[in-house]
Amino acid sequence: MVLTRDVLARLCRARDLLCEEHAPSVGEVAKHVDISPFHFIRQFEAVFGVTPRQFRIGSRIQRARRLLVVSTLSVTDVCMEVGFSSLGSFSDTFVRRVGTRPSEYRRRARAMIQDPGRVPHALEPGCLSLMALLPESGFAISEKRE
Amino acid sequence: MRIKLTSIMVDDQNRALKFYTEVLGFQKKRDIPVGEYKWLTVVSPEGPGDLELVLEPNANPAGKAFQKAMFEQGIPLAALETSDLKAEFARLKALGVTFTQGPTKRGPVTIAVLSDTCGNLLQLYQPG
Repeated sequence: MVLTRDVLARLCRARDLLCEEHAPSVGEVAKHVDISPFHFIRQFEAVFGVTPRQFRIGSRIQRARRLLVVSTLSVTDVCMEVGFSSLGSFSDTFVRRVGTRPSEYRRRARAMIQDPGRVPHALEPGCLSLMALLPESGFAISEKRE
Repeated sequence: MRIKLTSIMVDDQNRALKFYTEVLGFQKKRDIPVGEYKWLTVVSPEGPGDLELVLEPNANPAGKAFQKAMFEQGIPLAALETSDLKAEFARLKALGVTFTQGPTKRGPVTIAVLSDTCGNLLQLYQPG
């Protein structure tokens, strides 16, 4: 598939809408960017690798992770704040995507905090900084200089 | 001093590994867990084998903002060379890859631009 610049711009706009705190439904977003729901879902997934619904859930979980670390909201309040209506569904989704329960994630993340109110660097690594956290053996298979 | 590693930020490392190996055809070189992320690199089977592309987790807000802005402007974050762009374009299209620009002659190169499904545009180019 070759997308026009215009369609790409609309899909980017849709992505922004799906990230909003009170994101509209997928159907509403499709309507907003003036693409039929069928083509919208297909094109969105082709470009961004996930369906609009999966993207919206991912965005909510991402926001939840941040709130769990930097806010004093309870897990239930975080769940509601990011748009889940049931704590069970929030916890299950969180475990599936992050690999741990929200309360456990909060506990572990907070233990890493050095600067209150800021997400620990290890949770938001950037620009090759992960290299410093590799075990000694991380580059053991590195090629010998010839 | 050598150029040995270069990187591209990806939304999801597992999805990126799948795309960069199974679709683009690169080979996984390192996959080392680091906290909740991985040190993940691929190399080209066409070499050089010691020049690695790091598939970095796009977890940092500054990185996300940069990646998003570049994508929205249609600007690729990496350029990959091929000796037969037309054939590569046909192969990738058949695999379901989405392009934002088909093969187009631009000065000394022919280029095409595709989405890596992980938040980036990649430019394929063929010199000459």
